[in-house]
Amino acid sequence: MNELRNEGRAAWAIARKELQIFGRYRLNAVNSVIQPLYQTLIPGVLLGATFAIGGQAVGLAETAGTTDIVGYLFLGMLALNLASAGFWRVAFSIKMELDAGTLEPAWLTPTRRETFVIGMTISGLIIAVVATVVLVLIGIWLFGAGIAPRLAVAVPILTVSSVGILGIGYLIGAIVLRMRDANFFVDAADFIFVVLSGAAFPIIVLPELVRWISYLLPTTHALDLMRVAALDTRPLLPLPLEWLMLVLTSVALLIVGRAAWLSTEHRLRVRGTLGQH
Amino acid sequence: MTLADLRGDLRAFWAATRKEWRILRRYPGSFLSFIFWPIALPLAFVFQAQAFSGGRADTAAAFAERTGTTEVAGFLFVGWATYMWLSIILWGPGTSLRTEQIRGSLEAIFMTPASRLVVLFGPAVSQLIWAIWIFVVVGVALWLGFGVAIGPVEAVRALGVIVVGVPALYAIGALFAAVVLRFGEVHALVQGVRGLFTAVCGMSFPIVVLPDWAQTLALSLPPTYLIADLRAVLLSGSEIGRIIGDLAVLAGMGAILAIAAVFAFKRTEQHARRGGRLAQY
Repeated sequence: MNELRNEGRAAWAIARKELQIFGRYRLNAVNSVIQPLYQTLIPGVLLGATFAIGGQAVGLAETAGTTDIVGYLFLGMLALNLASAGFWRVAFSIKMELDAGTLEPAWLTPTRRETFVIGMTISGLIIAVVATVVLVLIGIWLFGAGIAPRLAVAVPILTVSSVGILGIGYLIGAIVLRMRDANFFVDAADFIFVVLSGAAFPIIVLPELVRWISYLLPTTHALDLMRVAALDTRPLLPLPLEWLMLVLTSVALLIVGRAAWLSTEHRLRVRGTLGQH
Repeated sequence: MTLADLRGDLRAFWAATRKEWRILRRYPGSFLSFIFWPIALPLAFVFQAQAFSGGRADTAAAFAERTGTTEVAGFLFVGWATYMWLSIILWGPGTSLRTEQIRGSLEAIFMTPASRLVVLFGPAVSQLIWAIWIFVVVGVALWLGFGVAIGPVEAVRALGVIVVGVPALYAIGALFAAVVLRFGEVHALVQGVRGLFTAVCGMSFPIVVLPDWAQTLALSLPPTYLIADLRAVLLSGSEIGRIIGDLAVLAGMGAILAIAAVFAFKRTEQHARRGGRLAQY
């Protein structure tokens, strides 16, 4: 019990350190919050306007069951933020420690290696939550407050999804340690993950084989449940099954990610290549 | 400037290009990225367009009326290819100066008798190779994936549009390089400007869907003309004569921006040299 408390303290200290570093570069911090607005929301909304009939997104009504393009893409942005917490926060943090040569000394402390990833993911999730709150406030300002009470369902959804995001953190951490220069891989994997989760469009437009991969991602179900609650869109699966899939895929991702991390850690210790970058 | 100076600068220019190309070759992972992104990024928007179209004839007709083409994939691939080229140019000169600054080699380079333009634009030639590569990847993807064939005549016309657009875009890149010398870090600024271009210049939409004020803003930015003209020659089969007005505006913007960039870069360099800030980062 005492050990668990100590690991918890260590995870929180790591998260605070990461948040402190993030806060030092204020312009970058502001940009990381508003970037999804100009990179995803605005181009998507305007592409939607190109297909609109009488100002109505009648095409989206056919594929997703709603004409509310802005709300639809807005919720997609939130999923994008959440996924980035697992992908980029852990990848950046490990890469920075590798480059600075501090990973080896950090791993010599009595803290468990897994705790480092937990701390990095916690900082990523805190940043994602803050960014989400800011984006929701912008959403309330731009589109009215109607969506806000219906977003209350996001709290349990995001809580379950966090387990899967931690799994992504472990997986990406393992890949960065093995590849060392994994920027392209992390960037591409993050993009594919977000796209296949249906952040920008309903996944029913994807080819059938690709759609099955989408069903294996927790963010697909998290996002769909949020959209059903907030916008009354057509669910991808019956709701109880969708909740079950959210839990199962999140736990599976955590198990797979942790196994990859532990095996990578073992390999690096045996080979003595931790300090290389 | 004598003929010998000019010849010396050209040799330095070629040397800078070769150096950058050699560094690029050392990181084969970047080649993968230049295959992945020109296909993956527009493809995501093609799926999004399918969702917005909903397979209906009236929505497809609305798209054709607003964009002047029925080629949804072509429209989006050309727009995003230009975006990627623009990104390379915005990051390019500034990033290479910043890299030299961090490596501690910028001061040494500035002590050589080579022109500052060589330092600034030497690496840009290798980036031009990437730009051509992006358009080739996009052309092949459109042909194989969507059956949109781009003929040699259209390709030559597109090359003409790119040549007219080069001064304006590289001048914007040079302005960013001046900011790097002055302030050191430009990541957030580049992201912001790229975001502005994405939001108003019509990478994924025709600018007619923008509100009036945003259309006015879009028409004051060079990428708007570049994207529209590339789409016109590649997708609508327009001859150069039909877009000559746009090209004249683009060339004019290029001239003004180039003068502004040279002025800004000289002033910043003077400031950095007087203050001894060239090697600081």
